[in-house]
Amino acid sequence: MAAVLPLLPERHRAPPRPALLWILGLAAVASCAVTAGLASVNGQLYQPALRVLLVSWITLPYIFAGIVAWKRRPDSAFGPLMILAGFVIQLSILQWTNQPVLNTIGQLCDLLVAAVWLHVFLAYPSGRLAGRAERVVVIMAYVAAVGLQLVILMLGGFDDRHLLTVVERRTAAEAMQNVQLLTLSALALIGVVLLWWRWSALPRWQRRRPAQILINCFSLSLVMLAALLTAGAFQLPGFEIIRLATFAVAGLAPLAFLAGLLDARLAKGGVGELMVRLRADPQPDLRELLAQALRDPTLSLIYWLPQYGSWADQDGNPTNLPELDNGRRVTIVKQNGEQVAALVYDATLGEEPELVEAVSAAAGIALENGRLEAELRARLQDLQGSRTRAIEAQQNERRRLERNLHDGAQQRLVALALELGLLAEQAESDPATQTRLKSARSELAQSLDELRDIARGLHPAVVSGHGLAVALESLVAAMPFEVQLTTDGLPRLPEQVEVAAYYVVSESLTNAAKHAQASRVSVDVGVAEDSMIVEVVDNGIGGADSERGTGLRGLADRVEALDGRLRIWSPAGKGTRVRAELPCG
Amino acid sequence: MRVAIAEDSVLLREGVAQLLTDAHIEVTARCGTADELLACIVHDPPDAVIVDIRLPPTHTDEGMRAALTIRQQYPDVGVLVLSQYVEVGLAMQLLADSAEGVGYLLKDRVSEVKEFIAALRRVADGGSALDPTIVSTMLKRHRSSDPLDSLTPREREVLELMATGASNAGIADSMVITQRAAEKYVSTIFTKLGIPATGSESRRVLAVLLFLRS
Repeated sequence: MAAVLPLLPERHRAPPRPALLWILGLAAVASCAVTAGLASVNGQLYQPALRVLLVSWITLPYIFAGIVAWKRRPDSAFGPLMILAGFVIQLSILQWTNQPVLNTIGQLCDLLVAAVWLHVFLAYPSGRLAGRAERVVVIMAYVAAVGLQLVILMLGGFDDRHLLTVVERRTAAEAMQNVQLLTLSALALIGVVLLWWRWSALPRWQRRRPAQILINCFSLSLVMLAALLTAGAFQLPGFEIIRLATFAVAGLAPLAFLAGLLDARLAKGGVGELMVRLRADPQPDLRELLAQALRDPTLSLIYWLPQYGSWADQDGNPTNLPELDNGRRVTIVKQNGEQVAALVYDATLGEEPELVEAVSAAAGIALENGRLEAELRARLQDLQGSRTRAIEAQQNERRRLERNLHDGAQQRLVALALELGLLAEQAESDPATQTRLKSARSELAQSLDELRDIARGLHPAVVSGHGLAVALESLVAAMPFEVQLTTDGLPRLPEQVEVAAYYVVSESLTNAAKHAQASRVSVDVGVAEDSMIVEVVDNGIGGADSERGTGLRGLADRVEALDGRLRIWSPAGKGTRVRAELPCG
Repeated sequence: MRVAIAEDSVLLREGVAQLLTDAHIEVTARCGTADELLACIVHDPPDAVIVDIRLPPTHTDEGMRAALTIRQQYPDVGVLVLSQYVEVGLAMQLLADSAEGVGYLLKDRVSEVKEFIAALRRVADGGSALDPTIVSTMLKRHRSSDPLDSLTPREREVLELMATGASNAGIADSMVITQRAAEKYVSTIFTKLGIPATGSESRRVLAVLLFLRS
């Protein structure tokens, strides 16, 4: 079984202690008991049982959902925020008591619920207010809910059970209260706009159904809150009904949130599908499958290659683990205690660590295979590199030898031949000397010819000196059969590419002349899409085999060393076609 | 006749200079690089230059480029290119526009003093001198329905000589025939190959080369 280890950002938090969560849960229950107690003691409360029920309905779900979220997503501040919201909203019940200090606190917190809701809804899902606009709206809501409440109470608003009355200005207090209610109402509506604006800015794949339901629930709560506050300001009829409906909806929000958490578990259904597909396809595109299972198209998959001590992509190219910021998260998958692969995904997926864990575990064996494949590719690249270096070194050495021959032995021998020629001029009257000189010169001429062939075989100097087109023209001219040569508009390219192309043509022509009994050959050389394409087609007997003759095999090595491809079609009796593609970028 | 030499091997450069001096040809400049040669020509244009195809600094195509430059800017100066290898492709490049006043020979040819001097004089006089290996290489190719097949061995010999730039008199000398006989061979060859007869000897070099290449 694969082990998964999420690599979390620096701000990673330890999960809360279970004891703390238990205490919070018990405190929530206890606070409801207190609420019921206060309601029964009060005696003047309108519909006390319903009021207790409503207060519990808008607080307990927040606290309990918050506890679950905190436990499962210790990284997100949303859980603690919900718990806090539940308890803060409960403060307002203190106004049901006649104890002056507690009553004052209760009255001061009467409208806090409006600001707290805005805060919680806008802070979804991270628990933090992401944007400046959100922060401004929430701060204004707190100022309106508590700050203006303080002013109203100081003006002697509501009743005389609180301690804050400074001057008795009932009219002013009422006017101020209307301002407060309408301000909060407006802020709630702005909150709705912000919610939708942020939602629509998310990439499509992140706008999933559970989150969509949650956003709808938040929006409805805020709209109804705005309606409730407006109704309160204008003392519209049906205030109690609106309050009932608003609280009912607002209490649903944490339930929708819990449903979203549950959906993350349901998404593990995708794990089953992943396993089926992994079994069906022996060589899957693992990244694609994982991306689908995790519903994150941006997912990338990298492997740990222990032999290289580095991370690599699926093709074996070395790469680094990405920075943990920039909205990316990394989960390292381990097999038998050793790291095998890493999944790099969008940070929002970090909200569902169980899913990532389940998917990584399901893909365990396939990931191990993928890693072996990446390692194989890396080795192939290494091999490719060393072959390229070997051929390059060989080519440099051959070029050096040719140059030494050209500048050394060949020049000296030509100078010697010239000397003999001059001697022959002077010895015109001496037939015996003439004869010996003549034989010496013919020996020398033969040596020069042989030396020329050797030098030429070492390195085609004309290619580096004058380009492929000129070199091929000379090559083709020396062939005993008709050759159709096309090199139109061929630019000068890197020397190793030109030399390799030269050898492809030269070897193919040699093959056509020696083995294929060809009478007509066409040679086409051109550049297409950063590659030089060389194609030699003859009308000979076919049956050429790159594994048999060393010439064609050596050619394939030379071409592949440059990351190119050599293809030979040679059906018996149907001629031979050699095609090389040489990258020249 | 006045000749400038560009050859980076001192041994060979001095050898060729000696050869020319012995033949009473004035050597106006002995250069080691293509740039030196071009500078010499600006100051004192000779009748012909002898250029090694591979010259410093890169020993790739400096000599060739100098030769082409001189052909373009000093049409009156004959250019004789020497090389360790002769390349049909380069011959075509050198003779692209005309075969007048140009030669392209294997370096070894300097040892055949008389022929070399003759070739040099031809080039200086506006004629041509093409290494025999170029022509023989091109003649080796077998074609289907080849008009060359209709030539007699003697006519092929004349064709080869003609393609190297030899004059009718030169052909007559080499083959030990009369100049009239040589002229007759030439006109028969042109008829058989379907090449329109051209006046000058250098023009017929080009015509034969183009025929052989096609």
